[in-house]
Amino acid sequence: MQSEHYVIIGNGPAANSAADILRKGDPDARITLISDEFFPYYHRHLLRHYILGKKSKEDLIVRPISYYRENRIRLRLGQKVVRIDLQTRTVFLAHMEKVHYTRLLICLGGKPRIPEIHYVYSEYFTAIKTIDDAEAFREQLPGIRSMVIVGGDLISVKMAASFLETGMNVRFLIDEDAFWPLKLDDDQRRDFTERLSARGAEVISGDVLAGVEPETEGGFRVRTRNGLSLSCDRIGAFFGLIPDVDFLVGSGLDIDRGILVNEYLQTQFEGVYAAGDCAQVYNPDLKNYWVSIGWDNALHLGQIAAHNILGSDKTADLPPLNLLNSDGVKVQTAWWRDL
Amino acid sequence: MPFRDDIVIKICGSAGDGSISAVDILNRAAALMGYHILNFDSYPAEIRGFGKSVGTTRISRVRPLTPGDRADCLVSLNDPHTITELPTLNESGIVIYENRPGSFLEEDQVIAGFIMPGMTGYGAPLRDLSVTAVQSARSRNIISLGILAGIFRMHPDGFEEAIRIRFSGKKDSVVKSNIKAFHLGRKYALDEIAKRDQIDFGEQLLERPGEISIMSGNEAVAEACIDSRIRLYAGYPITPATRIMEILAKTLPDRDGLTVQTEDEISAIGHVLGAGFAGKRAVTATSGPGLCLMTELINWAVMAEIPAVVIDCQRGGPSTGLPTRTEQSDLNIAVSGGSGDSPRVVLAPTNVEECYTLTRESFEIAESFQAPVIVLLDFFLANRIEDIDSKRLTGEYHGEFPGDLVHSGNEPFKRFKLTESGISPRALPGMAGLLHTVTGLEHDQKGMPDYETKNHRDMTAKRFRKMETLARIWRGSDPFGDDGDLDAGIVSWGSTVGSVMEAIDILRGQGVRAGGLFPRLIWPVQAEQLAAFSRRSRQLFVAEMNYSGQLASLYAINLSRKFGRICGVYAGPVPVQDIVDEILRGLP
Repeated sequence: MQSEHYVIIGNGPAANSAADILRKGDPDARITLISDEFFPYYHRHLLRHYILGKKSKEDLIVRPISYYRENRIRLRLGQKVVRIDLQTRTVFLAHMEKVHYTRLLICLGGKPRIPEIHYVYSEYFTAIKTIDDAEAFREQLPGIRSMVIVGGDLISVKMAASFLETGMNVRFLIDEDAFWPLKLDDDQRRDFTERLSARGAEVISGDVLAGVEPETEGGFRVRTRNGLSLSCDRIGAFFGLIPDVDFLVGSGLDIDRGILVNEYLQTQFEGVYAAGDCAQVYNPDLKNYWVSIGWDNALHLGQIAAHNILGSDKTADLPPLNLLNSDGVKVQTAWWRDL
Repeated sequence: MPFRDDIVIKICGSAGDGSISAVDILNRAAALMGYHILNFDSYPAEIRGFGKSVGTTRISRVRPLTPGDRADCLVSLNDPHTITELPTLNESGIVIYENRPGSFLEEDQVIAGFIMPGMTGYGAPLRDLSVTAVQSARSRNIISLGILAGIFRMHPDGFEEAIRIRFSGKKDSVVKSNIKAFHLGRKYALDEIAKRDQIDFGEQLLERPGEISIMSGNEAVAEACIDSRIRLYAGYPITPATRIMEILAKTLPDRDGLTVQTEDEISAIGHVLGAGFAGKRAVTATSGPGLCLMTELINWAVMAEIPAVVIDCQRGGPSTGLPTRTEQSDLNIAVSGGSGDSPRVVLAPTNVEECYTLTRESFEIAESFQAPVIVLLDFFLANRIEDIDSKRLTGEYHGEFPGDLVHSGNEPFKRFKLTESGISPRALPGMAGLLHTVTGLEHDQKGMPDYETKNHRDMTAKRFRKMETLARIWRGSDPFGDDGDLDAGIVSWGSTVGSVMEAIDILRGQGVRAGGLFPRLIWPVQAEQLAAFSRRSRQLFVAEMNYSGQLASLYAINLSRKFGRICGVYAGPVPVQDIVDEILRGLP
């Protein structure tokens, strides 16, 4: 009998925790991880320390390359999936290679979200999501003296704190959409702004980005709806992350905010699962879908998906009170309302 | 980004993909940029259209001695072939590959799927870019050079000039379209590829003194034959020696010379001996199987004391063996092939420059000592390409018939006169009053057959005495590495010397007192020099590229001590690290 070939798209916490479970549960199977990033599995929350030079690239790595070799997990880095054929169980890669699977797990994580009304300014925005983004920013850091952060999310709060350490002038434009998709209550929102102000950031609340223009001598000018005109070297765009699932459009998978899966993390196609930030999980009690963000949630969902791929019936219940301590403010990282 | 000044680039394709021509252009471009190069190609024994062709070039500010154990960059023009080359790539190596093949390919048919974490893959639409440049896919190799130049920031001028040289003699449109292809590839790399590696030439042009020659060992041999004013090349084509014949066939007719493609190697050496007997410089080049056929007539040259030069470009054996693989396993037959006590001279150059200088000397030795001289190259040395300061390609020309050997005086002419040096006066056919007999039979001093025991003993001793004279007067080989007492002394020969020299440098860097002795005159043995080196060496090793340790066995009687043998057969040149590891294992 031909052995299983588990293909996992992604190389973050969900993907790696799933690979571990799959290897333990099926020693003979082929396991392939495919990631469009060139750098191995790393701690994204440490990127800000890398930017400031407090951590090296190696410090960010979660597990050495040898781990994959020793566990016979094939790690394909820098390879982008461009299409999936769910009928023939084939993953198509950008360099025009076909990889066949018997079970597929999609753990794509997210990509920086740019609200539709701001698409037109995308090319002026700086987003820091990957180590490549961080590396590029790190090289430019000595020449950056001022930054306007628009949107605002949990990453940006920590990034801003780091930028302030360098003596950079940081202005934070927080509108009603800030911290999407988290639903911060008024106290939490106030907490964030107070902490940022205490560190030296200028927090501009209740105003909205209205326009961006590049300046002739370099840098940008940000205009707000209330008439502010802010000059800066960089515009940090932190509007949260959305599942990076564009290539799945037309594949047949049901996609809403993320890939729709049942409580066992299986899509409507047999043998195809999703876990982590990109999964939108059905809860029979709520009769609704829920999503989650954060490292721990991803690890947990990856494990559940892997167990189910191996034949278990584990359900991905809502995290009971999964709190993320962000800059001293505790926020819930799983939610199901207003999806 | 720190500058890397010593890198190994491999271009791999199927025969006909142009990987070897691309590497040829890369060599010239790097040399024109002022860098040293060492190139070694590996290609199939079969005719174009089949099998794997791999061109390997090491580019360095310091003259490289080997093509490097592992490559830093692998360019794929044929993924299934290149996949098999991946184990030769550094763990942090770079792979440049086609990312727009005509259709989606199955898993594991494309090299991108094999790129290991830690390596860097750069995909590029080689085929599409080639079609844009020349309306066909045939310039993928030139596109890939442009990609290399763009990624590694190599100065484009050298490439343009190298392309012009490579396609000189072709239509101007061919030159232009290839230059266009190069720039298209370079532009793609600069505009579309995000650099993620540490190799950066900074578009530097280094200063180089004087004129540079870029040539292979075979080309150096041919150049030496021309400069030595040979009158005849006779040979039967055989890999890896054929290139010598190709060059001389084109060149000699314009230089009062002649190239004869004979019906076999026996005939080839027969032609050479005929010319030698007539006082004309002649040479043949062959490989192991051909040398086997020549042994009888080489023996005749020993007995008849006729000058002859035989170039043996060794390949894997025995028999027809491995035509396109390198090995140093013809030493036994070169030194002692044939019947009877049959002393001949065996020389072994260690690099391309010495292919030139020792070939030139081989004619002088053959004529002065009236004996056959076998010059041992091997596939690696014959085909590897180096940049050489053109001024070093020189040698003295003493004439093809040294005047001091001509008989003089009133006594009857004894062509095989017993002398202290073993060297007898010589005459050419037709010289008045110097009539003599030349035969393969044992003979007296006038050349007449004589089977008496005393005569045979005296004549045999005389023939060996010539070798003793040569060993005494021939310049020795300078020791390499540390002076004084050595923790490890390594004797090696031929193309393995480069690997040993690099190994010695590594060992010295690790605090081991190490040195090497690399005889170019393999036989006769320069025993005093060998003994002196042995005395300096606490541990002694003999390193070579054959299974049985042929030089080690040959020198064992002179060494009269325990020593380590570092010998083996490899896919290519001996890996430096293997030598280092063997020596470290052998040290107390």
